Amino acid sequence: MFVSSFIVFFIMFKAGDPVELLLPPDATQQEVQAMRHSLGLDQSLLKQYEAFIEHALQGDFGTSFVYGEPALDVVLERFPATLELASLAMAFSLIFGVFLGVVVSIKPTSWYSKAIMLFSLGGISIPVFLTGMLLVFLFSVTLGWLPSSGRGEVYLFTSAFTLDGIKHLIMPVLTLAFFELALIIRLSRSSMREVMMQDYIKLAFAKGLPKRVIIYKHALKNTLIPLITVVGIEFGQLVAFTIVTETIFAWPGTGKLIIDSIQNLDRPIVVAYLLVVSCMFVVINFIVDLLYTFVDPRVRV
Amino acid sequence: MITRLIKIVPLLLLCMGSIGMAKSLKVGLASGVSTMDPHAFDETATNSILSNIFDPLVRFDANITIHPDLATSWSNPHPKVWILKLRKGVVFHNGSAFTADDVVYSFQRIKNWEKSGFKARVAMIESVQKVDDYTVKFITKKPFPTFLRKLTFVNILDKETTSSKSDAWIGLHPIGTGAYKFVFWRKGNLIRLKANPNYHLGKTFFDSVIFRVLSNNATRTAAILSGEVDLINRVSVVDVKRIQKNPQLHTFVKDGLRLIYLQMDQFRKTSPFLDVRVRKALYYGIDEDAIVKYIMKGFATPASEFHPSVVVGYDASIKRVSYDPKKAKQLLAEAGYPHGFSITLDAPNNRYINDAQIAQAIASSLAKIGISVHVNTMPKASFFPKTARQETSFFLIGWESSDGDGSSMLDSVIHSKDDKRGYGRYNNGKYANAEVDKLIEASDANMNPEKRLKEMQKAQYIALVQDQNIIPLHFQVDIYACSKKIHFTPRADGRIWVYDIK
Repeated sequence: MFVSSFIVFFIMFKAGDPVELLLPPDATQQEVQAMRHSLGLDQSLLKQYEAFIEHALQGDFGTSFVYGEPALDVVLERFPATLELASLAMAFSLIFGVFLGVVVSIKPTSWYSKAIMLFSLGGISIPVFLTGMLLVFLFSVTLGWLPSSGRGEVYLFTSAFTLDGIKHLIMPVLTLAFFELALIIRLSRSSMREVMMQDYIKLAFAKGLPKRVIIYKHALKNTLIPLITVVGIEFGQLVAFTIVTETIFAWPGTGKLIIDSIQNLDRPIVVAYLLVVSCMFVVINFIVDLLYTFVDPRVRV
Repeated sequence: MITRLIKIVPLLLLCMGSIGMAKSLKVGLASGVSTMDPHAFDETATNSILSNIFDPLVRFDANITIHPDLATSWSNPHPKVWILKLRKGVVFHNGSAFTADDVVYSFQRIKNWEKSGFKARVAMIESVQKVDDYTVKFITKKPFPTFLRKLTFVNILDKETTSSKSDAWIGLHPIGTGAYKFVFWRKGNLIRLKANPNYHLGKTFFDSVIFRVLSNNATRTAAILSGEVDLINRVSVVDVKRIQKNPQLHTFVKDGLRLIYLQMDQFRKTSPFLDVRVRKALYYGIDEDAIVKYIMKGFATPASEFHPSVVVGYDASIKRVSYDPKKAKQLLAEAGYPHGFSITLDAPNNRYINDAQIAQAIASSLAKIGISVHVNTMPKASFFPKTARQETSFFLIGWESSDGDGSSMLDSVIHSKDDKRGYGRYNNGKYANAEVDKLIEASDANMNPEKRLKEMQKAQYIALVQDQNIIPLHFQVDIYACSKKIHFTPRADGRIWVYDIK
């Protein structure tokens, strides 16, 4: 975390001067100097980094140059929106992805399996931007069923509890889930196929257990192990990928915030964002490890 | 929790329903605000939104002429003294009365707060004094002909409420005297306002306003096409045709105040631009009509001079030279470059409309007269510091005369560089002509409008027509789309002032 914070510091330092962007063009040189001083940007890179570490250890990540508020607050304020989008997209793609993956692996030659595989190929290759715009064109501009952008009414940190909120959520979640869904279909199909070749499955068949029990009780459990690993990594990816989705749907999350902050060289925000995301990865890895112990008793030993 | 939920959902629906009954305006904006503090950032998007909540002493109309607002009348008894009479009976949104104290406080806050971006607007003001509760006296450092224009940018804050509060608090709680009261702000998403029943200019047409931030061009277009918003600004040039096909929508094109131009290095020994014939050759050799037609899709006005016609300093007698590659080649040959030369053109790629493509088009245009141009585009965050360090000899940049007066461009771009005296901060080609400097400085303090205009026009004539210090390309235009249900008149300053929309 120290290393990454220093890299961000260094890159932002090299990238340019935020003061030029904060002041109007007819500001004088003195005003520029005064502003630079008030933001502490007139000191050397090492001095600035030192001051940052000193404050950061006390939980203060600096004040955003642009928003004039504590950087961590600005990031945390928007984080629920991104997390909501990413979790719903993940949940959606997991539920449908595993189900469809199993369906495909059982009857790989049927017409619906071929259709599902074709769809998943599309999901992997069509860019997110196009998916999003196509959905907007169809459901908002042509049919007028769903709002084209924005976040709905928020209740308890999330918009998933209000009707207006759900309406606003459908398209961004689908857009974000599209790639993920395709990936999970393919993944669960291949691991399911692998599991079905195992001896214990053959034994179960030989014992005469019903097919449904074999698939959903014995086989599915073992396909979950590689899936959990990938889902853990992919969730982090999803949070990062929301940048495009958030832009298309004007979703007020951190993806949009981070792009704007990089463009405005708002270093405190970028550093705080990095920290929040790193923490999130740590938490995800922890949860993944916990889930292993649930699914695979061997880990518990 | 579920029971609470069940209670709250119908309540929410009820709220939404009642908003639907009243007259409400929904606006989709290309960019939002990062703070609600009216003294923090001096840029159009912020000024536009906050102009609905706060009021200045005097206000621009759609064509940037001055009208009374919180000040009802003014006089200029001495070239350096301005006396303004304030409107009586005005109250802030929280009920406290508006008086001269608020005016003095607001001006002092800008001067004293190191993070205020409005310092340049008040730099020429020496002091602000309260004469009585409804009279203020301003003393300027020099005779200051653009005084009233600068005042239009200074929003008045309530002293009683805000003087004891932190800057962060002020940034979240905008309390003004404007036509609309602040209700709710979800950062990066929307701002909700409701009508101020006590507004001093009269009753507002809309009961509530929602500003939605839709920074992606296609998203903004989708929102107006689907009828979710009534008005959008900065319509992308590629979307205009689609919107025009919709019978329920209007599009508006309004000439903006921003000039896009090329700046040339006129101080390095190695620069080919030291010779005025080379600079003129570039002017003749750039096919601006093609740029407007193919890159801007017709949505830009070729520039013949520094200022658009609504700006003070405009000179109708100056015409743009027509594209003439032969003449350009001839001028280059005369200057000693019969086979042209190579040069790097630096340009931002996220600042102006189609900035990077314009730079490419200039390169292909100049290739025809033998100048080989390497285009180097970069984000604005790198571009502006690079030009400030004068590490570029040829670059594309823009200037907006936001106060409707040519002096800001003359002072900052045309006047020779003099950091101590605050001139030529953006003259990074370092063009210098003592006569032009003298004319600009004289016009800055000339209180006679006719004589002042003559000085400004003469300065422009020498700098542009004789010396070709920069190469004007075009003026950007603002494109809006709105529902036919509302009456909207676009403003020259690019602001959306809801009080004027019916």
